[in-house]
Formats: sequence, structure tokens, C-alpha cells
Amino acid sequence: MDSNKKKDGISRLDFLKMSASVGVGLAIGASGMAAIEKVVAPASKSANTTGNDSSDDRISMYGEHQAGIITPQQTYMYLASFRLMVNDRSSLIKVLRDWTRFSDLSTAGGTMRTGDNPLLPPSDTGETLDLPASKLTVTFGFGPSFFSVDGNDRFGIANKIPLYLKDIPRMPSDKIDPLLSGGDVCIQVCAEDQQVAFHALRNFIRLSMGSATLNWMQEGFISGGSGGQTPRNLFGFKDGTANNLHQTTDGYNDVVWAGDNEPDWMRGGTYMAYRKVRMFLEVWDRSSLSDQEDTFGRHKESGAAYGKKGEFDTPDPSQMPIASHVRLAKESKQLIHRRGYSYTAGVDPRTGNVDAGLLFISYQRNPEEQLLPMLKMMQSKDALNEYVSHVASGMFACPGGLREGQYIGQNILES
Amino acid sequence: MSRQMKLASVILAATLVLGACGKDDNKEAAVSASPTSEAQPSGAASGEQSAIQQGTAKLQEETTKLQQAIEKQDADEVKRLGKSINDAWLAYENSVRQTFPLEYTEVEKYEMPIFSASAYDKVDFEALKVTAGKLQEALTKLLNAKETSGSTSELLTKAVANYKLYVEEQANNLVSQTKVFVDAVKAGDVEKAKLEYSKARVFFENIEPIAESFGDLDPRIDARLADVEDENTWTGFHRIEKALWLDKSLAGMEQYADQLVKDTEELQQKVKTIELEPKAMVAGAMELLNEAAISKITGEEEIYSHTDLVDFAANVDGSKSVYLAIIPALNEKNPDLANQLDKQFQTLEETLRGHHKEGQYVSYDQLTTEQIRTLSDQISQLSNLMSQTASIL
Repeated sequence: MDSNKKKDGISRLDFLKMSASVGVGLAIGASGMAAIEKVVAPASKSANTTGNDSSDDRISMYGEHQAGIITPQQTYMYLASFRLMVNDRSSLIKVLRDWTRFSDLSTAGGTMRTGDNPLLPPSDTGETLDLPASKLTVTFGFGPSFFSVDGNDRFGIANKIPLYLKDIPRMPSDKIDPLLSGGDVCIQVCAEDQQVAFHALRNFIRLSMGSATLNWMQEGFISGGSGGQTPRNLFGFKDGTANNLHQTTDGYNDVVWAGDNEPDWMRGGTYMAYRKVRMFLEVWDRSSLSDQEDTFGRHKESGAAYGKKGEFDTPDPSQMPIASHVRLAKESKQLIHRRGYSYTAGVDPRTGNVDAGLLFISYQRNPEEQLLPMLKMMQSKDALNEYVSHVASGMFACPGGLREGQYIGQNILES
Repeated sequence: MSRQMKLASVILAATLVLGACGKDDNKEAAVSASPTSEAQPSGAASGEQSAIQQGTAKLQEETTKLQQAIEKQDADEVKRLGKSINDAWLAYENSVRQTFPLEYTEVEKYEMPIFSASAYDKVDFEALKVTAGKLQEALTKLLNAKETSGSTSELLTKAVANYKLYVEEQANNLVSQTKVFVDAVKAGDVEKAKLEYSKARVFFENIEPIAESFGDLDPRIDARLADVEDENTWTGFHRIEKALWLDKSLAGMEQYADQLVKDTEELQQKVKTIELEPKAMVAGAMELLNEAAISKITGEEEIYSHTDLVDFAANVDGSKSVYLAIIPALNEKNPDLANQLDKQFQTLEETLRGHHKEGQYVSYDQLTTEQIRTLSDQISQLSNLMSQTASIL
């Protein structure tokens, strides 16, 4: 694959050089967009003569919307939250520019330079030097505290906060750990290769050192979603069947993309809701199949709703147990775009039980209408509550997509 | 700590901005892009120099007042002057650093402890008297300073020579303060020994990487229980630390006490003969920060006494002495890095001052997770900047 790239004149080394020369402009404080402008990449544009080459591995970060939202789910995800330590607009812009530039580089399969001066640490950590882009996507979201903290309008953007951006209020049976929740900036990194995904996040952390500090980081995986199938969660049930109802341009406009009543920078943007849901796997695995199916209101193997044959047959709530998960979801009559991942995180030393569950992520245009009532109803009534516990939470506004040369958040900070 | 751990830490702590590599990639551009250092000798310089003279004259006046207040043991006045001296220094230190880097280093060395003292709730008049006297001398030198110039390699040779003086001074202090500590241990005076323990350790922690270059001398002096294979062969500061804080008995400590004095004396002798290279000096500054960022910040260094902040601050001071020594070379090659380092040292020192109560650093176990995290973030950023100083070599 590497040799193919070289034939096209887009070896990784070329990226390296490019990134370095662009870096000079930034480092000495060249203002404006010229500095970022051409980092990107002939690589993403150049035709691949060899057919099944790495172009399939690249997902452009540019367009009307950010990638990683309605992009078919990749197998691996990292979700990380940062607290900004900078207190002025120009320092913030520098962080966002660096992040954007690195997104641009890594989603195109490039890396930073690794070894010009043996006395200095390499710019890039290097673990993806021989790896393709692996469908890497990077999705940025801003939390309520990005816009102002306790009434302190540190960046002069308090009035730019979008309509529905608030932390998710306390819900029944919540066990939220504030240290694992919220944050000024959230970055979702997804890829088909876990090493590629982690490389991106790791270098985001390095690039912003001194300007932003990591609050928390989660890693997830999901399999079986290719070819339009619905992936299964760790309870063995299909998760996200209802996405099927809105996966058209109009559907996404109705469900995912922010409305015209939002600030301009939210055009093409959306809200990301995050809940870390611990699942008591051991208890679940000791439950009978009928208990499991009653809990969801769907059949485990086929994914069909009670009283139906196929997974995608329209469910009839009256045929499902009254507190079943899917029935409650349908009764809310709302759609959200689900893009969750499973997680495992070691053993609870007190019980010997595995710490595992779901990193619930949903995208929607109006969380107050689409998500919060559903969440509230579920956390108070859902039969699933016996087997799960919500332990972390977050709500972030994801700006619309970028054009080449723009940096993430530019429309908030410079308009 | 094992070599491997250290290497790993270097890799983890090291962080680069994309931009920085571009600069190094193109050294010529980087050098010519430093108009501040090159413009000094011409036009603007005379104005700048007279501003430096005015600032220094004012600082000398304030320092004289400070010396009078110290004589009178007027704590309030000492604190007030400590702050005003710092304000006066901050107002023009950047231009001093760029024009007279060697003199700058001397002033900075004595000015900072005076400012720190003004923030502490307890004033040590004896120590301050000495420091204030040295500050006066340094200011006089600055007032009469002539602009230095030289090739980078000359500047680096000078930096190493200056740093070596510092190392020797620390080693001397280590020996004398260890003797005070050991006397208390051998006299069975637990309370006094506890007090003197961390005072002696400061001088070791200031130059730890140097000690580490002498084979098993470092483990003999500074091994922690977790570092040794066989507890019976465990010697040094931490062996006695355990006796003082955990066992609460000094029985059997005599042999370790005597050995500790011998070992620190051996260190003192070896330091005199050491041939330092710029590369090793700069690497040492990184090692110090990594030490602080790994074992001190987690409370693993002083598991019985919890005096980790003392060691942490000493590591930072030790690394700052390298920074001060290389300022002339930084001015030539990377003045912006000097500015950033200066700012970050100030930030971290300010945070550390906030943890100084009743004449000493608070116990590690009194720090909240948030406070530890702030220190950790700040030292990571400092380490990050320090890792770029090798660009002057």
C-alpha cells in the first residue's frame, strides 16, 4: 500500500514535509488562514490509479456537516473531554487551529514529522507510520462551559450559545460521576483501526498541552454494523434499529441537523448527547431468554418487535410489555440518531464483576424535545433499569462542517 | 527509579507543537527570525539599556530598604518590600534577560526567594539577610554590565561552567546539611531529625540527575523500599525516613546515618571531577522535571514523611538553574522559548507558594486531587517546553 502511495507522489513523507512547513507559519504567529491553508492534502484529492487503494480508507473531514455523525459506524471509538485552560480568544483559536490542522492531516492518513533533530522529542508519536487512514473521523463538540463558565464570558462568545445546549438535568436513578461528565470540548474519534484512533486522540492531547487538559477519556467498540445491519450491544440485542426510520436526506434534516432558529454557526450542526451506561452483564446473563426479551420488547435473535416478524417491521407498542425498553421509546414518538459503542473497562475488584456497558451517543437537532423526555421516562420506568446504571453524562453542540482552510469553531469566534 | 521508567516518561511527557518542528527543520530561518536578539546592539539598544539602568537603580533602593527592614525584623515591611521588589523586577526583567543574560541569571536567583518569602506566613530573617545581600551584589553587577556576545558554543561552554558551580554548591550544602540531620538521628532526637530530613533532601533533589550518573551512589543515597531487591541492603535517606515516620524508632539507624554521610561526601568529591557537557546538562533539566512529574506528583517518593512537595519544588529549582544557565544561548537561538519558559516557571512557582504554610510545604496527603492535578498540568507544560531547549545544542 505504501508503495502505491509513493507512485502517486503522496508518500507519507510528503505529508510530513507539508506539515512542517505549515507549522513554521503557525509557530511564528502568522495570523489568518494562510497558515493552515494547504496542509491538507493532495492525498485526499489525488486519484488512485491502483483501484482498491487507501482512498477507500479516507473519509474527508470537509463538507456541510462534520464527519462521524451520520458516517456509517466505524469499529472503534475514543471519546474525550477537555477543559480549556486558556483564558483569551487568541490562545483558544491557536488550540482549535492546531487541532483542526492535525485532524486534516491524520484523516488523510498523514502524520507529523518524527525525527529531524535527534535531540528533540519527535513531533509525531509514530505508531501510525505504516498504517492507512482507516476511515478515521474526528468530530468536535462544545459543552455549555465552552461559551461561559459561571457567568464569566472569557472568550466573549456567551451570546453565541445555541438554543438547547445545557447539561442533561438530573434524571431518576442517576448515578452520575461528575469527574466523568461534561467538559468544555468533546472530541469523538472513530476509525476501523483502534491504533489509528488512539494515535489521533493522543496527539490531540499533546498538541493542546498547557492549553487544554483532559477531563476524561472513553474507548468503545462495535461490530456487525456493516452492510446496513444493526449492530448488537453487549446484552446481545440489536441496538439502533430505529435509525432506519430517518436515514434519508429529509430524515436527517428532521432528526439530526439543527434548525434555522439556531445561531448561524450551528447550520449543518447538531447536538451530541452522551450517557455512559454501565450494564450488569453477570446479572443479565443469568436472566432467562423470555425475561431478556420482555425487557426489550423485541426478540433477541431476529430483532423483531413483539408480534412482528422482521427487525424493521413497524412495532406495535400495545403488543409489548408495558415497561419494555422499545415500547417506552416508541411512546415518546421521537426519533434520535443513535451512534453508540460498547465498552469494557476491567474488573470491579469488590465483586469480580466486569465493568462494561454502553457509551450511548445520540445526535439530534433538539435534545429538549427529542431526547430528554424519552430519557426521563426510561430512567423512571424502563424494565432495563434493573440491569443498567447511568454513570456519566454530557451534552455538546457540534458545529456544522468545515471548508478547507477553516478551523473548528471559527464561525463562533470570528463572526 | 529505573532507567526504563525514565525513558518511558520522557516519551510520554514530551509534547510538541506542530510549529516547533518546522522551526528546527529550518534552523537558518529560525535564527534570522529572531529580530529581538539581533537588533539589540543597534538603535533601540541605548534606550533599552537606560531603561534597564533606571529599573536597576530603583530595585537597588528597594533592596536597601529591605535590608533595613530585615535588620529591624519588621516582618510586615519585609513582606511588603518582597512584593514591590518583585513587581519592579517583573516590569523590566524581559529586556534584562535579552540584553544581559548572565547578570539576569544572578538577579533571578536571589530575587525569587525574596518574593517567595513575602508570600510565606513565616519569615526566616537569617536566610533572607544573606539573600538580600547577594541580590544587592547582583544588581550592582547588572548596573555595570556590558553587553555580552559570543558564538553559541562559547555561550554554552559558559553555561556549563556556571551550572557546574551551582552543582558543586548544592553538593557542598548536601554534605553539611546531611551532617546536621545525621547528628539528630544519632542523638535519637526524632523531632529534630524529621525537621532536618527534608532540608537535607532539597540539596540532593536539586541535582539528582548528576548523582544518578555515578553508578550505585544514587541508590545508596536515595533508593526507596520499592526500588531495592533485598530489603536488607536498603540504605540512605528513605531507610531513615521509614524509621522516623513509620517505625517511630531510631534504633539501629546509626550505621545508615554514618553511611549516608560517607555517601554524600563521595558525591561531593565526584561532582568536583565531573566533566559536564551541554547535552547532559540540558537532559538533566528534563530528567528533573520528569522525576517531579512521575514520582513526586504521585506521593511515591516520600511515602512515610509525605514531604513530596519539598522534593517536587527542589526538582523544579534544579531544572530552573539549568534554564537560567542557558538563557544566553536561548536568546541567540530561540528567544521565544525563553519567554515561554520564564512565564511557565513563574506560574508553577506561584502555585507552589500557595502550598507553603508555617515555614514549610504542606504534607502531600493534605493536597486535594484538584490541587495535585493543577501541579501536574503545570509541570507537564513546563517539561514540554523544556524538552525544546535541546534545540540550542
